[in-house]
Amino acid sequence: MSSPETKGPGEGPGRGEVILELRALHKNFLMHRGRTVIKAVDGLSFQLRRGEILGLVGESGCGKTTTGKLVMKLIEPTSGSIIVNGDDATRLRGAQAIAYRRRVQMVFQDPYASMNPHFKIRDVLEEPLLIHRIGATKLERTAMISEVMRRVKMVPVEDYMDRHPHMLSGGQRQRIATARTLILRPEIIVADEPVSMIDLSTRAEILHLMKAIQRDMSLSFIYITHDISTARFFTDRIAVMYLGRIVELGSQDEVIDHPIHPYTRALIEAVCEPVSGRVGLMRELPIKGEVPSAASIPAGCRFHPRCPYAKSECWELPEPELEDSGAGHLHACRRWREI
Amino acid sequence: MNLKDTTESLRDSWREFAKVKSGLFGLAILGAFLLLGIFGVYLVPFPGATEHWRDINFWQDNPQAAPPAWTNLFAARKGVSSTVLANPKAGTENQDNGVAVRTFSFDYDFGADEPPRDIIVRLTGDGPVPVIITVDRPDSLSAEIYRAQLDLSPLSPARVSLVRNSAQAIVEFVRSQDPELATNMSADLIKPFGILFSKLGKEVATAPTALKGKYRIVVTALQLSSDFKVNTPSLIVSGHVSGILGTDSSKRDIFTGIVIGIRWALIIGILTSVVSVIAGVLLGIIAAYFGGAVDWMLTRLYELIYLLPVLPFLIVVSAIFKPSIWTFITLVCLFFWTGSYKTVYSMALQIKEETFVEASKALGSGSWRIVFRHISPILLPYSFASMALSIPAIIVYEASVSLLGLGDASIVSWGQILESALSQGAVINNLWWWVIPPGLMIALMGMSFAFLGTALDKILHPKLKTR
Amino acid sequence: MMMSETKNPGYKQPLLKVRDLRLHYFTSKGEVLALDGVSFDLMAGETLGLVGESGCGKTTMGLALLNMPSPPGRIVSGSITIDGKEIVGMGDRELRREVRWAKVSMVFQGAMNCLTPVYTVRKLMLETWQEHASGKHPDPKAVEELMLRYTRRVGLPDHVLGRYPHELSGGMKQRVVIAMALFLEPRLIIMDEPTTALDVIVQAQILNLIKELRRDLGLSYLFITHDLATEAEVADRIMVMYAGKMAELGTNEQIFGSRGPRHPYTQKLLASTPLLRKKVSELAFIPGSPPDLISPPPACRFEPRCAFAKAKCGRLEPPVVEIESGHQVACWKAMEDSEYELS
Repeated sequence: MSSPETKGPGEGPGRGEVILELRALHKNFLMHRGRTVIKAVDGLSFQLRRGEILGLVGESGCGKTTTGKLVMKLIEPTSGSIIVNGDDATRLRGAQAIAYRRRVQMVFQDPYASMNPHFKIRDVLEEPLLIHRIGATKLERTAMISEVMRRVKMVPVEDYMDRHPHMLSGGQRQRIATARTLILRPEIIVADEPVSMIDLSTRAEILHLMKAIQRDMSLSFIYITHDISTARFFTDRIAVMYLGRIVELGSQDEVIDHPIHPYTRALIEAVCEPVSGRVGLMRELPIKGEVPSAASIPAGCRFHPRCPYAKSECWELPEPELEDSGAGHLHACRRWREI
Repeated sequence: MNLKDTTESLRDSWREFAKVKSGLFGLAILGAFLLLGIFGVYLVPFPGATEHWRDINFWQDNPQAAPPAWTNLFAARKGVSSTVLANPKAGTENQDNGVAVRTFSFDYDFGADEPPRDIIVRLTGDGPVPVIITVDRPDSLSAEIYRAQLDLSPLSPARVSLVRNSAQAIVEFVRSQDPELATNMSADLIKPFGILFSKLGKEVATAPTALKGKYRIVVTALQLSSDFKVNTPSLIVSGHVSGILGTDSSKRDIFTGIVIGIRWALIIGILTSVVSVIAGVLLGIIAAYFGGAVDWMLTRLYELIYLLPVLPFLIVVSAIFKPSIWTFITLVCLFFWTGSYKTVYSMALQIKEETFVEASKALGSGSWRIVFRHISPILLPYSFASMALSIPAIIVYEASVSLLGLGDASIVSWGQILESALSQGAVINNLWWWVIPPGLMIALMGMSFAFLGTALDKILHPKLKTR
Repeated sequence: MMMSETKNPGYKQPLLKVRDLRLHYFTSKGEVLALDGVSFDLMAGETLGLVGESGCGKTTMGLALLNMPSPPGRIVSGSITIDGKEIVGMGDRELRREVRWAKVSMVFQGAMNCLTPVYTVRKLMLETWQEHASGKHPDPKAVEELMLRYTRRVGLPDHVLGRYPHELSGGMKQRVVIAMALFLEPRLIIMDEPTTALDVIVQAQILNLIKELRRDLGLSYLFITHDLATEAEVADRIMVMYAGKMAELGTNEQIFGSRGPRHPYTQKLLASTPLLRKKVSELAFIPGSPPDLISPPPACRFEPRCAFAKAKCGRLEPPVVEIESGHQVACWKAMEDSEYELS
């Protein structure tokens, strides 16, 4: 595939160089004793730049969470490679694997489940330090914990340090989860639906906080979400995934205001907005049906069975690769000029 | 690191625990057992019993197969309760020839309908000492019932059974009071104490009436020279009933046996359950967490052991090897870890998939860290409940093995008391006090742990669900 | 509390009347005032949206309308009349036969993921039938007929009746759940977050179905969700709840129109909903978290988080006032503003 040449919006000194690259990444899961192969991630490639927030948007089952876990190295890819800072990090062992964890960290979707209910906030935040042997004394570690808690605005620190996670609200827990990743001073953070389980009224607070931290620390973010609305607010670039592959990738404004791929268009079309006068109307949905199973990915363009514009070339010719329509706006649609 | 945390959660659990009445009851019984297990050895009437349980000489002063003392309350004719008379009034009279006459007078309050079976004198000292024993009766008659020279040694006491050595003297005593009564008496045929502790009358030999009241038994010893010595003797009145729970056919005090048995029941129960549950929990977590070959091997091992019948296996092994409590504990541990293994295995499989485990992995945690810091603490409550619940079974197994005569001969356990009762026909001879108490104790201890376990279970289970 | 009867010209008579409803949960820590004096009407053929954050009493309200509060909850006082019939204090048997599913049914939150996996769709629907309607249609053929009618109605092929839940996609399962709510032909359906767990495209499909069913069958909905954007799509009127009380109730136009909502809570909630088609650099959020309902703030419950709070707000509880036709607000500031506008 051609590599995207977009310039990261937050360009500055030290920014913009590629920090993470996925090359033709595949992940298959075997089900039913190996009789069914589920291609959760099927030829995924993208680049993440330093200081950039990349949104990975798609419906459930599109492989976005699997991608997050692959980047996080919680699972091993079937094929393809993961390159961090120019070094191949696809398969790491021992000390290298541990060192990798200091550079790449993850915020999980469910703030209620991502912390051991028996741990106090202090223990939650101390765990990464103990694992990576950072801070020689308890005092030193406590100082680091306090610092990172102030950073995520969990103040006064003493009030929260000895609480258990269940005594905090969802938003507060997600801040602690963020703090837990920050304490290792990573370069890349994978955030898997970090606000989807948080109340609407505090969701924005968390996103603002994450964005502020991302800017201050010049972090690179992969923001995985099904909610394209928050992606527009939060990200610099958006990659739309369908059945384990990226079908469109570009700056968030480009992708949302001028979508090219029929799937992206449908996705945007389907989003509800808080405006009056829609009750009597039926929403026009350009695509029908639901996402097919990743166990039987259609031949040719994988979107063709649901695509309203599909013609014989779409299923007869091999799968279209991502191509640039200009200004780094990539898409994988053969008929994009016609539709 | 987590001490405060732990005490806090323990306090919480206690509050919930206190709501379950059966659990409190179990805890109270267990507390009593623990106290008795620790201090009971010093409180029993025969403190040396732990070492001397199988020593015939140790128990020889007790009556044989005597029912508990409190059965007197329900008996038509009261028997004598076995007692030890100590601290006599002592007096020394030094004669000019260097001989010291030492007297020790014991007061004995006789209120039973039957005379004592025996009175045993135990005397230590040094050198040959002439001893005279006289009895002052409530009817102010006085009988000299024993006169002999004893070779005393300072360590092993001379033991004189008065009932065996006083017949002739008692016949003489009767004769001195009423020669007519004594005409047909022969020292070989009379019951000496039947006469000594009865009103003198026509039927004293055939149907005596007990003479109740204060008796004084005076032991007079002559220290013939200053080289010789006599220490304060003790008198043991051997009766028909004895102690709180009677004696067995080997004259052993059953109450003492029961109390010193508590310690072993607790040791066996707690040690075995703690070791086996910890093993089961750890193996379960390891199998679930690591999966693959480890899982396969541990699960096959589990199945193999689970399929073996425990009791027959224990019996065979106990019969082959020298029965020892440590062999027993090891074997039971080998079997009992399977009890918690499967449950823990399935729970750990679930916990392993929790996001916080994944999060910890993402932070770089190694497997052992996840096993010990994340999974084990969650299973701790279950482990406690499981330990408490497995103790009763272990105690019963020990009793069963002992009952078959395969118990460790160096300890005293309830099972062994039961075993000797059975083998010596306690049931046929109606020696119920020998059978019921140990049986009850096994049941009671089992019950206390079972109550405790179910109470813990009740408290901890909702927590596991809502976690 | 002041309460003015809603006179909405478009709808004839109220199907559901709720008056001063109080439902408390009696927990070991204290009494949770989950619903604390809520009154509203739901007209025949209307969709009433119920919005609020988690823990504000949305789902509790849904369950209260079926008179089946989840333990340890209990309706303490108030009245609920459905079709002129009072259901507070009605016996369980009668409720099951006469009210639940016969008059009101509910699509529970996450119900699509709680379908018994070992039953076919047919068996699942039959269960509902046996539970609630053994009086009606005793003929099994008629029941089958009815089940088919409604599975078709929600856009599912006939063979779905013989399928097991795990064989169906998320959207299909949600359709099954809706069919199960429909097929005893109730007049009111309570929808508790019916689209939350679904993907955007499926969500839009289900919303279309819900609208279509209403149009064709003349149903009324109580549509519960946390998402204002979804409410804008389906609800004729929207009721905003905060901490067990009604904050604002207005028509779709009154809430989402150019004038916007009047209650500061609704305003903030709306401002914190991200817009797709409009680029914003800053999203609003409400600092703090909802109050503990065991000991809620004494006067206005939103006062501790409100940017406009004055001394009065902490002292006196604002009454529910109709500030314009069909638009009720419980807020001192909104009252003053509207008086100012009028004068």
